[in-house]
Amino acid sequence: MTGSVNDPVLEVKGLSTSFFTDDGEVKAVRDVSFDLAAGETLGIVGESGCGKSVTALSILGLVARPGRVVAGEILFKGRDLLSIDREELRQIRGRDIAMIFQDPLSSLNPVHRIGAQIEEAMRAHDKIASREVRPRGLDLLRQVHVPDAARRVRDYPHQFSGGMRQRVMIAMGLSNRPEILIADEPTTALDVTVQAQILQLLRDLNRDLGTSIILITHNLGVVAGLCKRVIVMYAGEIVEEGSTEQIFDAPQHPYTWALLRSLPRVDADRHERLRSIEGLPPDLIAPPPGCKFNPRCPFRLERCFREDPELEPVGDGHVAACWVTMKRAHAEMGAGSLVDTGPGAASGVRPPIAPEAPDPSGADGQDVESETQDRG
Amino acid sequence: MAIPAGPWLEYEGGTLARQQVGLWRDGLRRLRRNRLALAAVIYLGLLACVCVVSLFWTPYNPNLVGACPTYALPGTPGHPLGCDDLGRDLLSRLMVGSQVSLAVGLITAAIVVVLGVSVGLLIGYVRGVVDAAFALVINVFYGVPPLMIAIVLYVLLGPGLINIIIAIAASSWMDMARLVRGQTMSIREREFIEAARAGGARTGKILFGHIFPNALGPIIVQTTYVVPAAILTSAFFSFLGFGVPAPQADWGGMASEGFSPLLAGFDPYILLWPAIALSVTLLAFNFFGDGLRDAFDPRQRR
Amino acid sequence: MTRGTLIYIAQRLAIIVLTLLVVSFVVFVVVHALPGNAFISQRVHGRSLQLLLHEYGLDQPVLIQYWNFLKGAIHGDLGVSLYIRGEQVTPLVLRELSVSCELGGAALIVTIGVGMTFGVLAAIRQNTWVDYLLTSLAVVGYTVPSFVIAGLGIMIFANFLGSVTGGAIAYSPVWTGTYGTIGELWLPALSIGLYTSGQITRITRASMLEVIQQDYIRTARAKGLREWVVTLRHALRNALVPVISILGTTVVGILVGVLVIENIFGIPGLGKEFVESILQHDYNVTVGVFTIFALLIGLSNLAVDLIYTVVDPRIRY
Repeated sequence: MTGSVNDPVLEVKGLSTSFFTDDGEVKAVRDVSFDLAAGETLGIVGESGCGKSVTALSILGLVARPGRVVAGEILFKGRDLLSIDREELRQIRGRDIAMIFQDPLSSLNPVHRIGAQIEEAMRAHDKIASREVRPRGLDLLRQVHVPDAARRVRDYPHQFSGGMRQRVMIAMGLSNRPEILIADEPTTALDVTVQAQILQLLRDLNRDLGTSIILITHNLGVVAGLCKRVIVMYAGEIVEEGSTEQIFDAPQHPYTWALLRSLPRVDADRHERLRSIEGLPPDLIAPPPGCKFNPRCPFRLERCFREDPELEPVGDGHVAACWVTMKRAHAEMGAGSLVDTGPGAASGVRPPIAPEAPDPSGADGQDVESETQDRG
Repeated sequence: MAIPAGPWLEYEGGTLARQQVGLWRDGLRRLRRNRLALAAVIYLGLLACVCVVSLFWTPYNPNLVGACPTYALPGTPGHPLGCDDLGRDLLSRLMVGSQVSLAVGLITAAIVVVLGVSVGLLIGYVRGVVDAAFALVINVFYGVPPLMIAIVLYVLLGPGLINIIIAIAASSWMDMARLVRGQTMSIREREFIEAARAGGARTGKILFGHIFPNALGPIIVQTTYVVPAAILTSAFFSFLGFGVPAPQADWGGMASEGFSPLLAGFDPYILLWPAIALSVTLLAFNFFGDGLRDAFDPRQRR
Repeated sequence: MTRGTLIYIAQRLAIIVLTLLVVSFVVFVVVHALPGNAFISQRVHGRSLQLLLHEYGLDQPVLIQYWNFLKGAIHGDLGVSLYIRGEQVTPLVLRELSVSCELGGAALIVTIGVGMTFGVLAAIRQNTWVDYLLTSLAVVGYTVPSFVIAGLGIMIFANFLGSVTGGAIAYSPVWTGTYGTIGELWLPALSIGLYTSGQITRITRASMLEVIQQDYIRTARAKGLREWVVTLRHALRNALVPVISILGTTVVGILVGVLVIENIFGIPGLGKEFVESILQHDYNVTVGVFTIFALLIGLSNLAVDLIYTVVDPRIRY
């Protein structure tokens, strides 16, 4: 084990990643900063397309064309992964920072044996002695509870079930005893019982080996079961960050609040209907001005359309980027008993009409106005 | 304060509609944008003009022996491309040679389309024993190089342009038939065919009125590859000595005649002109075909 | 090799035998229907012609002749040549087959070597000048007729280079022995191989571009594998499947190339023999060459299907 618990192994500072498509620059990740302490478990949550996977891929330099990291620093033990040369980065990938992916069927090479795929992960780095590679591959498979491992190393991915494939992925990720394991939706493609087994496996790894884990998921339930700290991302930005208790018990960003409301809860004291968040995430080529969540936010204010909020402390180690915050929403807008969660429903604020818009005819403005009123 | 009117307001209702453009209009636009395909079309247009002109007029009689000094070099006054070993004007022969290439390419393609589409439609629709018999025939045909089949057929039929076309068409219609058979088999299972049949449409009407129009895209694309393949085969024919009877000029035969001076160490131009004409024409047909495929086959688009 | 694979091979061999029977029968009947006979050019007329026809059994009905041919063919005897009277066809054709295999094999090496290298390079350098150059070369390769490439080669390497160096270094366009030396072989092999390699380049590039997008390539990179390992062991291995599926067509393309190119360079192989035997009405040789070509194509298609199972473990027969 290296360093104390509070010593960050990974610091991401001002990371921005864009995809340069024919239609324009898609700003998938914008100015994202966070730390990961040794032995810590960090969850990154958000809807699909919010930039959480791209953030993870950026850390390992795996963003595929036409995507590119455009700004920021990624410090691993003080070395900036964005400025070191390709060979150094290659050595860090899989040895110090390993990553496992969402769909274990498409993420394993169909034409190579399971054993060979695990062993080559070790052979790519000199961390494991050559003669230890084969027995260690077997050990790893046993460690992730693949039954009959000695026989199954000679099988191909298509001969494994979904859960077993994800175990193989994890074994592969662990083969060089990495300090950080990034798990991108590791349980999404699996049955619920298998999900629980995989989560237990990750928990054990964190406890027994001290591996830091970044868990990327859209599933808050999975985060609650594994992570100490949670980052919530929306439209390429971090909108809230705090301990798991803070996020779950007192979310401050309306988006986090809405995400939590969309979770089925056994302990729900009110008989409330499950609610999904209305609308779609914004176009990342031309995002709305102000707060990116304003087109969907029930608590939006006029200010939300003008100014983009920064992350501000809202508690001990708890930050959120919101002009309103749920504290105020609960106190002034009755968020707790809100039934309609449509855009602007609680605050009654409509999108302002630009006086100098290209076509400022009254009819156009009326149209938008009446449309939003219909919804409100 | 000024809020820029961005497209973001559209997301209020959660709709993300993209403009829909029709397949054919979209395809035509893409074809026009493809400069290589456009250049190919222009070249082929010019070639067609040369071909038509050569039917009525050439600088010299292309078959006149001794029209100029033998082996006259390119650039000789009156003979810009020079003369061959018998003193025939190469420019005139090159112009006339386009007739054979275009005739073989286009007429073969027409026969292949008619034959392949009819057989393919019928077999795909009837299936059963007919299909099994077809599979056997296909197996045998694919068991030997098509060029060999064509040569034997041509020798059997006797010399002449028509027989070349028949021989080549007979050895190359199976690909089209196989394609149409596959298309027919998938289209016949669709609901609108069921509806037509329930409405009492006759088999012929269903085949040509309903199935054929729906398989038209792949058929057109396949046809654009039949043309250059037929021209290439006919060039091989002439080159191997199975071409149109002398003294009729054709590019494959001219290239063949150019080889003996070349091997004897003479100037290469007798071979060069027909080789260039043949290569550029084949390239043009291929680029045009690729352009069409990119434009009209969305599955292949990237 | 599993029992299922063996049964599959047995079935395929049976189909090949059946195809050979049909091909040889059809060709036999058609060839015997060609106008004229093998003895015309030798100026044999009247009674002596009748004697010759009788000696070679050519006066019998075609079906009986075919039956006799078949009886011999089962024992590997394809009869005798009618043009070079008395020459046994089987050893003749086998010798020519070995010459053609030398040329065809060299062309296959060119095809796969050039085709796959170009395809992989073009794919990993997509939309750069490398990609444009290699794909253009591929298009030129599979459009320009092989005899044009051969002609250009002779022009450059025999005539031009010969006159520039005073004949010191020059390609000799004439095949001197039964088998070619490497110095003689490379231009004919290249003329054939450029055509087929163009197709391989195209399909390898397309297939690589598809595979490179797959999740398992990202996994391979995430493991920290070197880029060439990712490209060759992970991407190319998967990209091979569609490439292998057109290898059957490639073999036919090479055989057509052999047919044309042998006649340019005077290579004493099956392709030259085929053209000559037709012109000379040497029936047994024509049928023999056809049968061997059909056998080659049948066996290479079978080989392709078996290579599939090696490359992609998901495919089983």
